[in-house]
Amino acid sequence: MSDLKTQIIAQLNLQDVKPEDIADDQPLFVEGLGLDSIDALELIVLLQQQYKIKLSNAEEGPKVFRSVRTMAEYITAHQSRNV
Amino acid sequence: MYIRATGNISAQKTFGHPPFLAETAEYTGNRLSCIEPDYKTFIDVKLIRRMSRIIRMGVAAAMECLQEADVKIPDAIVTGTAYGCLEDTGLFLTKMVEFNEELLTPTAFIQSTHNTIGAQIGLMLQCNNYNNAFVHRGFSFESALLDGMLLLKEKEAATVLVGAIDEITNISHTILSRMGFYKQGAVSSLQLFKKNPVAIGSKGTIAGEGAAFFLLANEPSSTDYAKLDGLKTFYKPQGVKEIEEHILSFLDAHSITFNDIDLVITGKNGDAKSDEIFDRLQQTLFTKNNTINYKHLCGEYPTATAFALWMAANIIKSGAVPAALEYSGSKENTIKRVLIYNHYQNLHHSLLLISAC
Repeated sequence: MSDLKTQIIAQLNLQDVKPEDIADDQPLFVEGLGLDSIDALELIVLLQQQYKIKLSNAEEGPKVFRSVRTMAEYITAHQSRNV
Repeated sequence: MYIRATGNISAQKTFGHPPFLAETAEYTGNRLSCIEPDYKTFIDVKLIRRMSRIIRMGVAAAMECLQEADVKIPDAIVTGTAYGCLEDTGLFLTKMVEFNEELLTPTAFIQSTHNTIGAQIGLMLQCNNYNNAFVHRGFSFESALLDGMLLLKEKEAATVLVGAIDEITNISHTILSRMGFYKQGAVSSLQLFKKNPVAIGSKGTIAGEGAAFFLLANEPSSTDYAKLDGLKTFYKPQGVKEIEEHILSFLDAHSITFNDIDLVITGKNGDAKSDEIFDRLQQTLFTKNNTINYKHLCGEYPTATAFALWMAANIIKSGAVPAALEYSGSKENTIKRVLIYNHYQNLHHSLLLISAC
């Protein structure tokens, strides 16, 4: 999950944020890290670029991107499916 | 109309209104880069992360200008840029190639348009008033200024925020260098005019960039810098004779002669081909006028006249010409009227007339 946090910080250019500043279950949007809809698009691109995972169902977005842990779980599930 | 406030980020220490060009930054090489402030005091950190360098520069210069004018929401925001947000454009195009036109990150695309800075200022201010961006190569700033002046003259607005923004990036600098725009080898920016570029046949200029904003108002205030009396542009003149005719008709339209002008600011850039025009005019028209140059301080770029206007406004307000400008006139003479004459690649020529309030 630490690698994923580093990738999120780089993709979103979160200045002054370190991986350890982001808790595994901390909400990414609104009250948590304060991300917005453009960031959601950036995270979709990150999944495709880094993990070759395409988020096919847009309605899954809020669930997948709720926290770093939910993202990591989604990646693990879909990477093993791809294998 | 009146120049009530300014905000300027340039290759000199101009941001934050330090003493007017009291110190000068010298550059060796053919590229002058802006001296940038700590943006966090002007822009929300959450917004900064999405902004490229030129957007930060533009937004910060605009905010400083509005703060000085004590204007929360201007009646119009007008920007001029020739290159636009080049860094994001380069990033977006590079990603297109790298990822075979797929998986493109939205931020660079959204922020790469030429009206990004004007729009970002409007968003930050929650200002839904008139907002326009002019992309007219070497006339970009002049076109924005003309739009602002017309809005004021036609009473469509009482206050207009007008600005010019252009950046030089590694990619654009490489391309323009290959086109022969810039000098080769080590060049000291402050030595640009020490030896007459025309006499020694010096080729190329020095690259520059900048973000300068002005708050123009219909009504005078006690803190105005200067009055903006007139603006004229003309494209691709046939020769110096035609340029002379344009200058004379401009002065005639304002019912003045060269005797009424205390200072001429010329857009010499160190390239013999470009400066030849200014030298000829000094022999024919500006024979008795004090003239100074400015591009050794900010470099050459399509909206460099914004730096010249900032300089003229400060000269009039402070009543003094800083040493860096190598003023040869008498220090006792108060400068009340300034003519700026600039041309960009002998295509885009412009004249600006500024006077004391």
